Amino acid sequence: MKVLGISAHYHDSAAALVVDGVPVSAVQEERLSRHKSDAGFPTNAIEWCLTNAGLDADDLDAVVFYERSMLKFERILTSALRTFPNSWRSFPHAIKNSLGEKVWVRGIISSHLGVPRNKILFTAHHASHAAAAFLTSPSRRAAILTADGVGEWATVTVGHGTRSPGAATDITLLREIRYPHSLGMLYSTFTAYLGFAVNEDEYKVMGLAGYGRPSMCDQVRKLIRRTPDGGFALAPEYFEYQTTASRSYSSRFVDLFGPPRTPFEPIDMETTEGRRFADCAASVQRVLEDTLVEMARALHDETGLPDLCLGGGVALNGLANARILSESGFERVFVPPAPGDAGCALGAALYADRIYFKNPDRDIPDHPFWGPAVDARELAKAAAEDGQTVQELDDTRMVERIADDLAAGRVVGWMDGASEFGPRALGHRSILASPQSRGMRDRLNRDIKRREEFRPFAPVTPLETADRYFELPPGGARLGRFMSGVFPVRPEFRDALGAITHVDGSARVQTLDETMAPRLHALLVAFGKRTGVPVLLNTSFNVAGEPIVNRALEGYSTFRRCGIDALVAGGVLVTKAAPSPREGAS
Amino acid sequence: MRGAYFDRMMRPLHRWVWADLDRRVRKLLMFAKVETDGGRDILRAAEVTPDPLLRRLYLEHAIDELRHGDLFHERGAALLQAHPARSTGLFSGTPLPGGHGLDDLAIDGEPDYRLLAFLHVAEKSAAGRFEIYRDVVPDDPPTKEIFEQILRDEVFHMNYTYTQLVRIAPRTYRRHVWRARASRLWNRYLRVAAGITGILGATMLTLMYFVVLPPFAWLAKRAERREGTGWRTVSGDRRDAPSSQY
Repeated sequence: MKVLGISAHYHDSAAALVVDGVPVSAVQEERLSRHKSDAGFPTNAIEWCLTNAGLDADDLDAVVFYERSMLKFERILTSALRTFPNSWRSFPHAIKNSLGEKVWVRGIISSHLGVPRNKILFTAHHASHAAAAFLTSPSRRAAILTADGVGEWATVTVGHGTRSPGAATDITLLREIRYPHSLGMLYSTFTAYLGFAVNEDEYKVMGLAGYGRPSMCDQVRKLIRRTPDGGFALAPEYFEYQTTASRSYSSRFVDLFGPPRTPFEPIDMETTEGRRFADCAASVQRVLEDTLVEMARALHDETGLPDLCLGGGVALNGLANARILSESGFERVFVPPAPGDAGCALGAALYADRIYFKNPDRDIPDHPFWGPAVDARELAKAAAEDGQTVQELDDTRMVERIADDLAAGRVVGWMDGASEFGPRALGHRSILASPQSRGMRDRLNRDIKRREEFRPFAPVTPLETADRYFELPPGGARLGRFMSGVFPVRPEFRDALGAITHVDGSARVQTLDETMAPRLHALLVAFGKRTGVPVLLNTSFNVAGEPIVNRALEGYSTFRRCGIDALVAGGVLVTKAAPSPREGAS
Repeated sequence: MRGAYFDRMMRPLHRWVWADLDRRVRKLLMFAKVETDGGRDILRAAEVTPDPLLRRLYLEHAIDELRHGDLFHERGAALLQAHPARSTGLFSGTPLPGGHGLDDLAIDGEPDYRLLAFLHVAEKSAAGRFEIYRDVVPDDPPTKEIFEQILRDEVFHMNYTYTQLVRIAPRTYRRHVWRARASRLWNRYLRVAAGITGILGATMLTLMYFVVLPPFAWLAKRAERREGTGWRTVSGDRRDAPSSQY
């Protein structure tokens, strides 16, 4: 059976194709359209998924959209009614936005793909998150917790799932917290208040939190109160996201926390204002973690299960995930590589396959590499035409050469095989560098990634040696598989790992299983032989504001315009040699 | 280089726009966004063109545009630091205007001659406009210097797009340039039309909001008061309704 999953129209559109119960392709639209967080209908992603599998749209048994669009419209309309007359400014925008495209999903899919309307199915938004989290995990029985900004009505759900090979699958969502009460919206409100882009820069708030003290938790708790049943409710007087599209916090919010930061104001930790913003970030982070830990603990007590699957955009918060693992009672916590809305494309397809069509369960390969493969010949051709130095090396020589380069302090763009599905670069579209000096972090932030200086970088290390350098709790290595947890760097290695140790002594480590990315694993071992520490700095292969590179030529154009010293795609190595193309060009 | 006749006529308006600090900051930050987005589009062109020379030139052009974006951004931010915005509405909206929209370039699948013609016309127009902007900010030497720098780059951009267009379409390049001009005019018309339609639509919906919605709002608020907060049981099992959008 061939099922195509689609997520679109909010942020991070994506498509995923499941054939006979197993994913064969999945890619975010932004990687192909090259527009960051592309929310449009994922035409390119669908086309690539089908082409990659050698299928036509006619071959599909079902196309599944990741949420129930009319139910979502009902929520938008009801919200406007409930906040009447304050919603008068947002109402025209919301209605035009919904009626313009979003509610006609069935027709849009049908016209784009030419599939009959009866083949087009829908899942609930949080059911898609739950399926993406549970069905891609190795767990057979697990509690499920999903949390994001908002889907149709639900913002948080809890439930459980059961699956076993060859048998029927069950995913039951027991309870939900409904909009406007939302942990994702709470965090996003602070994201906006701190001058960052909503739905995009939430991880900056998490990075900033490391610099601050959670000294404003009492104020944050005025915004979110716990309900007697273990849920929570937001205090509406501090928020405006229900009534206007242009601002998510109210004047009372500003009275409580002080003036907001404009997006163009630098954050200087030496100033009172800089520290205030960092304290705000630390405080909302702490309250978010506390709330999630308490909800997860209650879910553990209720289900008695040892495994927890986390889904939804909030599951990208590695600090919270690590605390859930340590404090909620669950022995293992699984977060998929794409827990956000993009991952819902895969979740929706798997949900339809297992639940709607009742197909027997099959294990999903435990890796994130479902995207387009890199074509090394494309890179070799373009670089040679441009007069760059191009070398073709076998795996062993390539690994040795790059290990030498990295040990010498050079920065390497690393493209290998199929691209990752999800927001993290997990070793197939990465910028790699030595983790040893803080200077490297500053160089990468300033000259290569062009992003704020407070932003930390993540390390990657072989699974078998991870515990030597990082304080991983039981189950921590699993959480680190897809870079989903933040853990302390062991104090004795913090200086030696200066570029990846955040100001609070932590790191969002990736624990690399050799079978997942063997070449990168070999590189880590080779680097370890040279430096004594098999740890590399691993950051996504992109420049701030751009999607992660996909094709070799996108890696090449990034390499040409920033301070990356060497570029690898498969067996091809490119180093800079040619002068500026402007010379003599006109 | 002389700005287009219409732009020169509008010089007093431009002077008025740039005289106000809030508007100046907004303009600079908007240009930052537009230049950066334009740079990314041209970068995309460098990634997809099969022509090695064009790839190098597009890449250089893209780097220039991205640098212009940085220059505008840094200047806008510096002005903002020195003189905090008086208008509270300046940054309340999350995304700043500008960027893609109707001038969004469709790069993938487009032939190079079409892009070169478009870029040539766009660069020429931008150069004329920037020349005027440079002249209306004599009180602000750093901003004036940015326009000077960018104008120098625009000369290179105009020249290479034209020479390359002549190279790859020696017999039809004039037609492509005229077509690009017409396309820009059409896009302007579409932008105005979309703006007017948007205003009309918003007005109608706002009227509807105040005329039709009040009784439903009353009912919705009453229903909301009956709802508790906290956890709710997930209502109904939807597994038997896979084709329902509700």
